[in-house]
Amino acid sequence: MAEQPEAQKNPVGFSLLPRGLGVKVGILLGLSIIVAAGFIVYVLFARGVFEQTQRLYLVTDNAEGIAVGSALSFAGFPIGTVRRIRLRDDGKVRISVRVPVDEAKWLRTTSIFVIDVPLVGAAKLRVFSANLQDPPLPDRAERPVLRGDTAQEIPKMVATLRSVLENIEQMTDSGSSLQQSLGNVRTMTERMAGKYGVLGGALGGEDNAKKLLVTIDRANALLASLGGVSLKLDSVLAKTDQKILGQGGVVDETQKAVQQANVILAEVGASLKRVDRILADAEAVAGNAKAATADLGSLRAEVEASLRKVAALIDEINRKWPFERDTKIKLP
Amino acid sequence: MAYGGEFILRPRSWRRLGRFAVYALAAALSPASYSQKSRELAVQQIYLFAWKVLAGYLAFAALLSLVLIEVVSNAASAYGVSQYALELVLRVLVLDVIPLMTALFVALRSGSEIAAEIALMRVNGELEESGDGRDSPLNAELVPRIVAAGLSVFTLTTLACALAVAITYTVFFGFTDAGFESFTRVVAAVFDEAVLVGFVLKCLLFGLAVALIPLATGLEAERGQVRSVPFTVLAGLVKLFFVIGLIAVLSLVVKYT
Repeated sequence: MAEQPEAQKNPVGFSLLPRGLGVKVGILLGLSIIVAAGFIVYVLFARGVFEQTQRLYLVTDNAEGIAVGSALSFAGFPIGTVRRIRLRDDGKVRISVRVPVDEAKWLRTTSIFVIDVPLVGAAKLRVFSANLQDPPLPDRAERPVLRGDTAQEIPKMVATLRSVLENIEQMTDSGSSLQQSLGNVRTMTERMAGKYGVLGGALGGEDNAKKLLVTIDRANALLASLGGVSLKLDSVLAKTDQKILGQGGVVDETQKAVQQANVILAEVGASLKRVDRILADAEAVAGNAKAATADLGSLRAEVEASLRKVAALIDEINRKWPFERDTKIKLP
Repeated sequence: MAYGGEFILRPRSWRRLGRFAVYALAAALSPASYSQKSRELAVQQIYLFAWKVLAGYLAFAALLSLVLIEVVSNAASAYGVSQYALELVLRVLVLDVIPLMTALFVALRSGSEIAAEIALMRVNGELEESGDGRDSPLNAELVPRIVAAGLSVFTLTTLACALAVAITYTVFFGFTDAGFESFTRVVAAVFDEAVLVGFVLKCLLFGLAVALIPLATGLEAERGQVRSVPFTVLAGLVKLFFVIGLIAVLSLVVKYT
């Protein structure tokens, strides 16, 4: 090799050099360059440089936790990447997301976008598409984002939890109504375990249970005597039935009476018709009487006029008559 | 003679290093530096620093990767954030630990050797300018070593990172292509454009540091003073480790703040 004389001159490490090391070094360098270039191409491929993408703009009030490079996931699978986040002039945040055209089928016009902020870890951008038959989301569409923040819910939850715990503490406190109820339950169960069982527990003591049992016994006796009574009542009812509904019974007689009453009523109807006619006559009579009454008025006037004439005639006669009787007292 | 630690605090030494870096880079970029002899020397150096240690270093990187993946994924599971384990492994292992380990490894392996070699050459007066300028010792002896060290760092870093990525995939998903899509998504999330550029830049700076600092410090050996050789070698290594640490810290600061 050409370098051998040179190597012998150098003091360090060249005496053990094998042949063909140029090839080996060339392979090593070539392999390294191929690997490095391959890795860079792989990273560019992973970042979607060679992919057709579609843009999606998401608008939210608060994009905290979302960073450039965050994934947009559908059903737990990342389908897009946040490329840009910008604060608009109206104070809202516009998140620009790139979604490969292959994955754009998961985005529909009815899709809902959510920023989910878990307790641990980074915020997640999610999309929910309820109906995949809806029309697909167009390129450069702008959609609002809902925000579900677990951390913001915690204070509210703690407050609620505290009131719940206070209630529980009150409930479990000695002298609380729950404790008293439990005491009562214990008393009751103790009674239930006694001679008269559940009955003792329910009635509040063995004496009461005993009374109840005695009452039940009496009621049983009463029911037995009532059985006898009902038997007698049955025979009475049978007899009554015979009297009322049997041949020559009350119903039979009543039927006859009703028939007679019908006949009488027919007669009454005829009488009433006659009365009707009489009344019509009476009405005519009354009409005549009314006319007569009208005539009586004029007659009376005539009579009055005649009477006045008669009176005037008598006055005349009296005046002319010598036996005038002067009723006036002449004062001197 | 100063102790190694004192070299860090010497501004004159850093200035000399800066000047040397500029000259060396200019020489490395000029085609005239690559004579037949220089190329052969560079090939020899790459063979010594990369090829010969490749198998051992890759085995070490694989072991380290396995241990780190286990540690990270177990810790993530324990804290209930196992969904972030893969991302965390890729960030920690591929972006930070493997490049740093490679730089330190090459620095130890080649840096000390180059520094000692150059210091001895300097002591023996082999690096004196010959006067004709066409075949200056900077071109003949230093540029091949610089290029070789840089390429060794590049080679070992690339292959070890590729191995780490492969091991990570295998540990998380097994010997199947079922996890390729989700793995690709995590890779896309971890290696965005800025991170990728930063990663390449960091590896480049590591390579430059490993290539330049031992050489520059080796040149500080005093002629005829053999006793100065160990000190310059030590000083070169201390400076190199300091610079590598600084680059790693700066990259972390830039990335995570």
